[in-house]
Amino acid sequence: MTSAQRVMAAITGDKADRRPFTLTLSLYGAALTGCPLPVYHADPAKYLEGQLAVRDAVGPDILFSPFVLPLEGRAFGCTLADQQTGPPNVRKPAFRSIEELLDHPQPRVDADPGLAYLVESVRLMAQALDDEAPVAGILTAPTDLAAMILGLEPWLEALLFDPDMARRVLEITGAHFRTMSAAMMEAGTACIVTPIMFCNPRIINPELARTTVLPALREAFAAAPGPVVFHHGGNPLSQYLGLFKDVPNVLGFVLDERDSFIEARQALGPEHLLMGGLSGPHMSARKPQDIRLRVKQVLDDRREDARFILASSHADVPLDTPLENLLAVRDAVREHV
Amino acid sequence: MSEPLSGECRDLYGLILVAKRDQAVAMLLEDVERSGFTDMFSRLLEPVLNEIGENWMAERISLAQGYVAGKVAEEVLLASAARGEKPPAAGKGPVVLCCIEDDYHALGRKLVGIFLRASGWDVTDLGNDVCAPELVDKAVATGARIVGASAMMLSTAVNIHSVREELDRRGLSGRIQLAVGGAVFRLRPELVEEVGGDGTAPSALQAPALFDRLLARSLSLFPEEPA
Repeated sequence: MTSAQRVMAAITGDKADRRPFTLTLSLYGAALTGCPLPVYHADPAKYLEGQLAVRDAVGPDILFSPFVLPLEGRAFGCTLADQQTGPPNVRKPAFRSIEELLDHPQPRVDADPGLAYLVESVRLMAQALDDEAPVAGILTAPTDLAAMILGLEPWLEALLFDPDMARRVLEITGAHFRTMSAAMMEAGTACIVTPIMFCNPRIINPELARTTVLPALREAFAAAPGPVVFHHGGNPLSQYLGLFKDVPNVLGFVLDERDSFIEARQALGPEHLLMGGLSGPHMSARKPQDIRLRVKQVLDDRREDARFILASSHADVPLDTPLENLLAVRDAVREHV
Repeated sequence: MSEPLSGECRDLYGLILVAKRDQAVAMLLEDVERSGFTDMFSRLLEPVLNEIGENWMAERISLAQGYVAGKVAEEVLLASAARGEKPPAAGKGPVVLCCIEDDYHALGRKLVGIFLRASGWDVTDLGNDVCAPELVDKAVATGARIVGASAMMLSTAVNIHSVREELDRRGLSGRIQLAVGGAVFRLRPELVEEVGGDGTAPSALQAPALFDRLLARSLSLFPEEPA
């Protein structure tokens, strides 16, 4: 089976030759090719080179578009700061007030170098992989983009104390999500993966999630021209999945390593795809034998669950992760019976 | 476990949880008018903040609710300071906070600052993207026994190690304690030791207790010299 067939089997709940797996190795391609990060995060051809190196060295069944969410913030006017060991960070939000945002035109994909880089990277990857393995496009969720371009505190203030204004913000960030997801789909991505922090009850009250944020997510996801994978975004999610199970167009959920897949299945039923099992940021510090054990435990736990893909959760796998740690995942998956 | 809340504390707690910030502040300031700041603080604000801290730590309430608690405390402290009143425990000493080099996630650090001030610490907040020498310089200049460095992500948390190196280089480790915090330390608690931290707290509301412990440790290692 090809990776694409294996992943499709997981989506449809059919049997595959082995369990599909993926690791978020967006950044790691630069480690494998030695490409300087500012170049890697600006040149689609360099990104492709890195991802082909990931494919050849590790062989995950899904590859990812650049995991550089701040580029979407920069398209609105955020100032970014380069980091030595990771993607750029938002140094300064784009707007000093919500009114400024409301007056700002939507960034155009073809006119913004960062957005064009994200989309073109997908296009090159899809062409190069030629249906051998799916490419998942990573995009900022509308509610998290609001925090990025306004700043965390102003966004919390709006959500908590001015919900009508918060909804207007979400209309703008939702429109951006629809535009970007359409562009990525047209370029060849199989699905959109979107990390969502500002809808998790550990971040905002469930009532706020229900009344203000979820309606905007429903609208944005329903309008995406392809399936969306709801990524836990950094907090455990399984206990709250009841809130999200009816969001339209959601193919599945990436869960935190601390989550319970059993709890997730109880909340969701058998249809949604579940992904997760390994914390990305832990991958650099763990020993290969511990990683193999963890993989075995997760796969044993999910043995009867055909709609499961072993995947890394949280952020990208760190740049300094020893390759043998990643190979430990690959080998443990291949050897699991 | 904290004591069960009184009726008026439960009212205040409820207002904070549903984000009725203005009503919560008004309730507290009316109480200050009746019974003075010190009484209001110990009878109302402190127990409610403790309760919120426990529930935040136990992940029963959200970051947004913790944020409302912080803003309520901040507004009441500012109003009281304008009247020339200080928190009952004022005079714990100076501390210096920052987001470490390359980190720009200010919210958690700001909340820590608010809750430390409410607990009587004299807080200097250096802001985002602060390098180790600047942080340690300010600690020396203010006589701080504790510095707090925050980072949200792994890629920036590792920069905190430069603070440990700077403290070691100047012979200040132990005397100046290094508190570390941010989302990634909850995910990877072993990072506290890896970056050379002396301790962390699970939420901003637990920061005052951490700083109390670190001050005690600093004083046990390097007692105050008699004036």
